[in-house]
Amino acid sequence: MNDFIVVLGWLGLFAPLALGAAGSIIGCAIAGQAAIGAMLDTESGYGRYVGVSAMPSSQVIYGIVVMFTLNRSVTVESAAGLFGIGTLTGVALLISAIRQGHCCASAIHAAKAKPEIFGLSLAPAAIVEGFAVFAFVFALVISAGIPGGGLQP
Amino acid sequence: MTRYVLLITSLPHPGPLFGARQTPLSRLRLEQHLQLLEAGDRQRLDRIESLLHWDRLPFDTTDAEILQQARHLIPTLGDTRLQTIVEQRLELRTLIAALRRRHRGEPAPPLDGHCNWGYGRWTGAIARYWQEPGFRLQGLYPWLPEAEKLLTDDDPLGLERLLLAQVWRQLDRAGEEHWFDFVAVVVYVLRWNLIDRWVRYSETVATQRFDALTEAGLDRFADLFSGY
Repeated sequence: MNDFIVVLGWLGLFAPLALGAAGSIIGCAIAGQAAIGAMLDTESGYGRYVGVSAMPSSQVIYGIVVMFTLNRSVTVESAAGLFGIGTLTGVALLISAIRQGHCCASAIHAAKAKPEIFGLSLAPAAIVEGFAVFAFVFALVISAGIPGGGLQP
Repeated sequence: MTRYVLLITSLPHPGPLFGARQTPLSRLRLEQHLQLLEAGDRQRLDRIESLLHWDRLPFDTTDAEILQQARHLIPTLGDTRLQTIVEQRLELRTLIAALRRRHRGEPAPPLDGHCNWGYGRWTGAIARYWQEPGFRLQGLYPWLPEAEKLLTDDDPLGLERLLLAQVWRQLDRAGEEHWFDFVAVVVYVLRWNLIDRWVRYSETVATQRFDALTEAGLDRFADLFSGY
């Protein structure tokens, strides 16, 4: 039973990075397809379309930071905390990256037809990013309570 | 949802229906874009267009044949949202067909189980309330009285404008929450067809169309007097 708990601890430790990366892959792919589609229909503004399509990449960075913050000896005492915080943070980052990809694709699609709303059209994507930041920051705060803190040598 | 992101974003914004002077892109370019569709979806789109696009229907197609085609097609679409789009369009045409029949002084259609003149939920109500204004369906279709007035006033352009606006609104509703999927592609193509239809309206084109229809209709009588 203890071994299983330790396995869960390791899962939780790597979950923010893995799930954040998966979300960023999907989100950037969705927004990237939209950017390429918009390039087919427009004669300018390619750079900003590609720039917007990279927005969902921030989740994997948050995941890396959370993973390093959680990084400690995985023991029976620390595993539950690592699994809970790591997995739930990863799920939040995964969902936020995918949905941010949709927001970015819609923003690109809308701004292509009406360039003057480009900045405003990014507001939904920024709001989604805000929720990912909440999950990120409070994962850092709460991880201080997990036993065995401090980076491993 | 993500399959057709590239396709949808590569299509130009259709813009308002009645403000358009030309289609947002040519049919040739639209077809090039539609090559991104999967084979099954492409076939579904073609079947929807072949049913809803007047130009693709032979001149001598009867109501019963169109209904048979619709009843065969709709269950095969496999997506309730697409079925709704097609059904709403056919129901609108049924209402207009009923208004035109009544305007010509025809009697109420029979109230039996099998309907061979119209499609959808309202054929029974239309037959039952044949003499009532708007067939008692104004609550659902507030534009019916106006359509009836335009028909009575012999204003076909006004009627066409009203009907295209209603179809455009139907497509607006159908396209809600569908940004990057096959439904969005179907809505775009049907909108393209509406714009194409509207911008093609001109005296010259109408004359050509009338001549073509007249010739097609007279073909069968070409040899009528050959024996004399």
